[in-house]
Amino acid sequence: MKKLLIPFIFLLVLTTFSIDSKAQCNDQLVNDCALNVGDNATYIKDFKAKLKGARKGSAPIATFSIVLNKGTHYRFTVCNALEYEGEAVLQLYDANNTMIGSTFDLAKGKDYKAFDFMARKTATYKVYISFKGGLEGCAVGIVSMVR
Amino acid sequence: MIKDLFKVPIYVVLIVSTILFVFVASCTDPEDKAVKEDLENMSNEDGSVIDSEGNMGEIIGNLSSPVEMAALIKDNGVPFSLKYLSNPDNIDQYSTKFDQALGLGILGADLGYLNIYDRTTYVLRYISAISKLSEELSVSQFFDFETLKRLATNNENLDSLIYISTSSFNRMDTYLREMNRADQSILIVTGVWLEAMYQTTQVVKQKPNEKLTERIGEQKLILSEIINTIKRYQSKKAFKELLDDLTEINSIYEKVKIEYQVGEPETVEIDGRLIIQQNETSIVNITQDQLNQIISIIERIRNKRIQLNN
Repeated sequence: MKKLLIPFIFLLVLTTFSIDSKAQCNDQLVNDCALNVGDNATYIKDFKAKLKGARKGSAPIATFSIVLNKGTHYRFTVCNALEYEGEAVLQLYDANNTMIGSTFDLAKGKDYKAFDFMARKTATYKVYISFKGGLEGCAVGIVSMVR
Repeated sequence: MIKDLFKVPIYVVLIVSTILFVFVASCTDPEDKAVKEDLENMSNEDGSVIDSEGNMGEIIGNLSSPVEMAALIKDNGVPFSLKYLSNPDNIDQYSTKFDQALGLGILGADLGYLNIYDRTTYVLRYISAISKLSEELSVSQFFDFETLKRLATNNENLDSLIYISTSSFNRMDTYLREMNRADQSILIVTGVWLEAMYQTTQVVKQKPNEKLTERIGEQKLILSEIINTIKRYQSKKAFKELLDDLTEINSIYEKVKIEYQVGEPETVEIDGRLIIQQNETSIVNITQDQLNQIISIIERIRNKRIQLNN
């Protein structure tokens, strides 16, 4: 009995650690997110954002720049690290600071894991990642090319 | 007391040591630590907007993607050809850090091309060359060469091969900028751009293609960003020479006109997925003469950089 128990406990410990590592705020999160962007999507770039909770009423936002090319169908995907409470919202803005797309539809109160963007203008765009309610959070945004 | 310790059952010792091992290993993984530190650094105490690129904001992300241009070439029905690629056996010619960084970018674009065309037979040679150059630049820790070789050799999971290749370049790029080695980062970006431009212009030289020509014209914006960054290092001779080359290309691009038509983006939801169509468009006006000049100058400069002299 004891002979069976030892490997069982051993496996249980290792399984617990491997499950936990998937949720962590590190490169594993990028890997998990990047490999689940869709069958016809090719990874291009990732953005990591770990932000502390809001203070004095203003929520922190991580901002990144990216060049997007005309004629390319892009997909923006966001994935949260499960050990944090914050739910990430990824937004895409153009050079004039006009919002083009978001993973959160404010009017419908609906979250999307991703949105597709059909670029018709080659330019530098801004990607913002923030957490709903200004909560502390960790997330990655993946930009992929849909073909 | 010490004697009692030896009475602890062996399986308890095994479990405790496993837990300790896993814990210590996860705490000391330098890559994870670097990423965690990177992420911590982005936090802002006063809750204001954070430029997550921090000090490295000097280089815009995805200025030149190793796979995007290759994908466009392939999607336009252009057959695969090795003649668009540099020779990975010539890397010994990259003797300085400057040349090695530029060469790493060139080989990165070639690897992207091979991956997009699913030519894993040739990938191994390029991976080996990239491995050598990355060691010279002390950035080999970002490339899991064993996994890359396994994926290429077994011709398995092309998506993973592309992902690991591209993300390795991205992580290396982030690291270089954080380590105040942004000069090497921009050289790699420039190498990728130059080689991708070489591939595209060579394709168009052989067979005119409207979409590829438009993409070549749009590079006016990207080249301008690259030049602005390279200028910061022009006090160094090698950078000045590269800047002169890029400025020569830019002198042709100054005549290329890009117009914009404004429009509001439209959003639709199809099968639960948000799809946003941009209605603001850019229109590239490039003449055949300007295109020919760009093709010619890119060919000359790229070949000079890989020291082919042809």
